[in-house]
Amino acid sequence: MFEDRPDLVDRIVSHLRRPVQIDAALDGRVMQEIAQVDTGRRPGAAVAAWRWLIRPRPFAVSPLGALAMAAGLAAVVWALPGRGARAVPPAADAPREFQFVVVAPRATRVALVGDFNDWDATRTPMRASQRGGSVWTAVLPLAPGRYRYGFLVDGSRWLADPAAPHVRDDEFGAPSSVVTVGGS
Amino acid sequence: MRRVLAGDTGAYAMLVARYRDRLGRYAVHMLGDRQDAEEALQDAFVRAHRSLARCDDPERFGAWLYGILVNRCRTTGGRAARRARLFVRDDAALSGTPLPGPAERAEWDDTVRWALGRLAPEYREAFLLKHVEDLEYEEMAQLTGAGISALKMRVKRAREQLQIIFREAERV
Amino acid sequence: MKTSPLPRSPKSLVAAGALAAVLVATAAAQDSQDSQHSKDPRLARLDPAARSLVVVVIDSARTAGLPTEPLVQRALEGATKGAPGTLIGNAVRRLAADLGRARAALGAGATPPELEAGAAALRAGAGPAVLAQLRRSPRQTITVPLAVLTDLVASGVPVDSAAAAVLALAASSGDADLIDFRRAVERDIALGAAPTAATAGAAAGFLAAGADAVHVNAGARDARPGRP
Repeated sequence: MFEDRPDLVDRIVSHLRRPVQIDAALDGRVMQEIAQVDTGRRPGAAVAAWRWLIRPRPFAVSPLGALAMAAGLAAVVWALPGRGARAVPPAADAPREFQFVVVAPRATRVALVGDFNDWDATRTPMRASQRGGSVWTAVLPLAPGRYRYGFLVDGSRWLADPAAPHVRDDEFGAPSSVVTVGGS
Repeated sequence: MRRVLAGDTGAYAMLVARYRDRLGRYAVHMLGDRQDAEEALQDAFVRAHRSLARCDDPERFGAWLYGILVNRCRTTGGRAARRARLFVRDDAALSGTPLPGPAERAEWDDTVRWALGRLAPEYREAFLLKHVEDLEYEEMAQLTGAGISALKMRVKRAREQLQIIFREAERV
Repeated sequence: MKTSPLPRSPKSLVAAGALAAVLVATAAAQDSQDSQHSKDPRLARLDPAARSLVVVVIDSARTAGLPTEPLVQRALEGATKGAPGTLIGNAVRRLAADLGRARAALGAGATPPELEAGAAALRAGAGPAVLAQLRRSPRQTITVPLAVLTDLVASGVPVDSAAAAVLALAASSGDADLIDFRRAVERDIALGAAPTAATAGAAAGFLAAGADAVHVNAGARDARPGRP
């Protein structure tokens, strides 16, 4: 009575798995709403957040002028809808500032370690977010090139960047990620 | 060295950008409407920000975000209008021959959306989480609060219903 | 320790030379060399056994005219990760050999970042011919195309598809576009597209209309993402 057509369901699934692109303006709306949510409770933080949001970015711009994504690190530019603030593009080979981000809520300290700082865990400690310390960030100027890096949590646990390309052959038994910085 | 002035807001903006499309796919298919999906997405990201400290494991951040989004979609889904359309007359699209071009793909897209919309919400939810978002049943159980066997049944029913729906459409 | 006879063909001479240099240097380790990197203070972070293994490789690489900074960084990575000395030594030795192969493929004029990226690409499975072809593209540097090629392979794209796409794009795309291309491919793979199809689809999108088609045998015409 019931005729099974698994191939049909498979075709539906492949169709549904196709990537969907959400308008990047959503990011602006999210951040605005978050800043507004602050207003009720901590006016000082809200004002600071707003000022940060609308200030023209002082560092390198990604070419599309949008928030960087899947590379796990970014030349972050913040463009509010309708504002179009852009920073001045740097000279081709000048180091550009990149922001590294990792979510590690239970960590007491996180270090960014990689080819760009001699794998020295004391060189680039990351900063925890003010709210509960879940989101850790660090900013580094990077000259064009390709760098292996990772996050060292509490001095002993290695985290690769979940959304950055991973190093294919991890020779030392601890995961690493890669960032590629272009020159032009 | 020029310094970034961001506290957590800049970093969070990056996370939003990173996860936006991935979560967006689920929301779009679950709600069948892009605007509703973006609303649910926005809501989910704002709520996630408020309760960031409750995310236990950094490597499960994506899944934890998913849980919030699944919840938001359940709330939003109740308000969204379902557009049920009888659609496809094209046997080729239904019989499994390869899609030739954009016009046919557009029709197929509408057909799939329509068929999904006719599924019961909990079946659609389970189907999408399992087959499109590739979650494990254990993860789905955590996100939805349903038991694993219940979820397996929902996925099975969803598959059956989709086939029935398409067979009905063929007859029209 | 005697070195084995070296092949005479020019292409492999440099690569073989780098390898031979390592063998020779092992025997000549006692020579006092006023090498900057032997005395590199950063290497003090290695334990003595690891340090001596690494210094030998670094010195011979320097003698062969290969960049030594990537070798130092690889050693420091191993040290920070607490790897045993032999593992560090092997890793540094392997990287030095890869750098030598990269220079053979890219030519003596290759810059250190190009050599590093080339070494990684070779290690990922790209053939020297791909590197040589990239060398011929009308670009100021090929560091980023090489890096993008490596990253794509690490994301699961078959090396031939990745190479075809990067070669097609390298001639007409700047570094930023190549990095965007790689991100687009990775995003699509993360969202469930097959790696080859994702690569072909993204490449087709980035190539200017009328440019050479990218033949990456994926039936990729319908794989272009982005429909709502």
